[in-house]
Amino acid sequence: MTAAKITARDVSVYYGEKQALESVSIDIATEHVTAFIGPSGCGKSTFLRCFNRMNDTIIGARCTGRIELDGEDIYGAEMDVVQLRARVGMVFQKPNPFPKSIYENVAYGPRIHGLAMDKTELDRIVELALTRAGLWDEVKDRLSESGTSLSGGQQQRLCIARAIAVDPEVILMDEPCSALDPIATAKIEDLINQLRGRYAIVIVTHNMQQAARVSQRTAFFHLGKLIEFGETSELFTNPRAEKTKDYITGRYG
Amino acid sequence: MRQRLVRRYAAERRFRRSGLAAVVLSIGVLAFLLMSMAASGWRGFVEQRIALPLDVAASASAGEMEDAVAMAAEAAYGADGLDYISESAWKTVRDAFRADSSLAGTSVVIPVPVSSTLSTALRGSGPETLVAAAQRLDAEGKISTHLNTHFLTGADGTDPSAVGIWGAFKGSLFTMLVTIVLAFPIGVLAAIYLEEFAPRGRWTDLIEVSINNLAAVPSIIFGLLGLSIFLNTMGLPRSAPLVGGMTLALMTLPVIVIAGRSAIKAVPPSIRDAALGVGASPVQAVAHHVLPAALPGIMTGSIIGMARALGETAPLLMIGMRAFITTPPDGISSPSSVLPVQIFLWSDEISRGFVEKTSAAIIVLLAFLLAMNAGAVYLRNRFEIRW
Repeated sequence: MTAAKITARDVSVYYGEKQALESVSIDIATEHVTAFIGPSGCGKSTFLRCFNRMNDTIIGARCTGRIELDGEDIYGAEMDVVQLRARVGMVFQKPNPFPKSIYENVAYGPRIHGLAMDKTELDRIVELALTRAGLWDEVKDRLSESGTSLSGGQQQRLCIARAIAVDPEVILMDEPCSALDPIATAKIEDLINQLRGRYAIVIVTHNMQQAARVSQRTAFFHLGKLIEFGETSELFTNPRAEKTKDYITGRYG
Repeated sequence: MRQRLVRRYAAERRFRRSGLAAVVLSIGVLAFLLMSMAASGWRGFVEQRIALPLDVAASASAGEMEDAVAMAAEAAYGADGLDYISESAWKTVRDAFRADSSLAGTSVVIPVPVSSTLSTALRGSGPETLVAAAQRLDAEGKISTHLNTHFLTGADGTDPSAVGIWGAFKGSLFTMLVTIVLAFPIGVLAAIYLEEFAPRGRWTDLIEVSINNLAAVPSIIFGLLGLSIFLNTMGLPRSAPLVGGMTLALMTLPVIVIAGRSAIKAVPPSIRDAALGVGASPVQAVAHHVLPAALPGIMTGSIIGMARALGETAPLLMIGMRAFITTPPDGISSPSSVLPVQIFLWSDEISRGFVEKTSAAIIVLLAFLLAMNAGAVYLRNRFEIRW
């Protein structure tokens, strides 16, 4: 077991009075893709959004417990949210490119963080991010076209490119394929495989086959609790908890 | 089942027909309004002139010129001649002589503006003898029609044939300028703060309710507010576009805040998430992404507010913009009138000659309004974001 990139201890999240997550502890490592699975409303997305404090934007949301990124407390007083989100990128459920050009979509992050000294360097960063997202060959001749003119799958890869353009350490993916067709989904899954090892990737998915295909570690959530966490191959073939077994065999969910 | 289907289709047709009828009715009313306005208003833009033969010495002073014109009128058209020409007819002569100095000392025929009584008589109303005389003059070819340039360059006056709209137009322009400079930035900033940054709570709710109520406050109340604060307390100049603009800005502000908030609310939250997700600060997310996407909506709302302000009369009466001002304003602090107030003043005049001026002023106001709206539509289309 290598050192964990993210360690979460006793994390609970409340939306107003309602508790959405109960005392979850987990370790996320860089060399693995970690998948969160579970039925709707089980708190897996809520948990994911704790890692870059996107829950801060929801009124009434509250997080207790301790989450550390490389040993630094994410919710600590010294942690700057803007810098945290540069280190922990996020890809959302629905592709949400900015209504700007493809180039501007990718260049936005590096620009606000001042990662490029000049235009040449920015061009290089944009090309690298688009190449890593597997989109460069498809869009290199139309970088000035609107990001929203791309197909759904391309838009989602553009969003991934936008996330990796700021060179994050962790990429969070919140059901990145739920709005895509099977072919686009396959491309995203390929991409996740290629990105593995370079970034710690956490993916929330409804699709158990997808979790089995792309992840090495899987966490199963149910009603706000972490039921089981382990090797993906182990969890799917030989689940320890009864609930996990029922879920992956399709008895509920 | 079949009968039910027939009934449903009948209901649908009925609904569509009544909708169409409503549209046709409103178009008809609008067309009637515009046509009647144009029919009586076009005369305000032209003036009738009467041919006046005269010879004036090159060195004539203004007084001498006026006398010479009066004498020439009597010489040409008898004892009534002086009633045929406008009081300011000598100015036309003076301008003609200035434009072409070779005219001086020769005998020339210059068309000068007719008096408002003759102008009315030319249209067939007034004393019978005058109408008959007007018809005779017209038949003799003495009367000609010219574009009334003075109407487009002058200001208010007592003689309807010599008044102009430029003074009120300029006043409206300055007033709108002050209003937009004050109301737009303040309104948009307030909308952004309330929508994006204000903590939700009792105070925010209270402010929201207050703003909604303010938008519904009768405009004359804002006039009273302007009178007591801007004029009495702050001692700003009376009748000035500055104060008018400030008063109208108060009136327009709630409209812009409400329109701005709903435009900002309409921006998909996913864009905010995307910006925050790559590490933009909340202000950057708003300035770089939310505001550009909301701008077309904010502008539409603001223009509606501005259009209402442009047509507003009541609050401006309160702060003294109904004064009789005969020179166009040369700044935001010099006394002036505005278009709707000018229309109100002229419509109150007894003299028949003001009727067509009133209609012409309404046409100018509508043209101003249309130009403003066209500008807004252009800007909105330019900034529109296609998702």
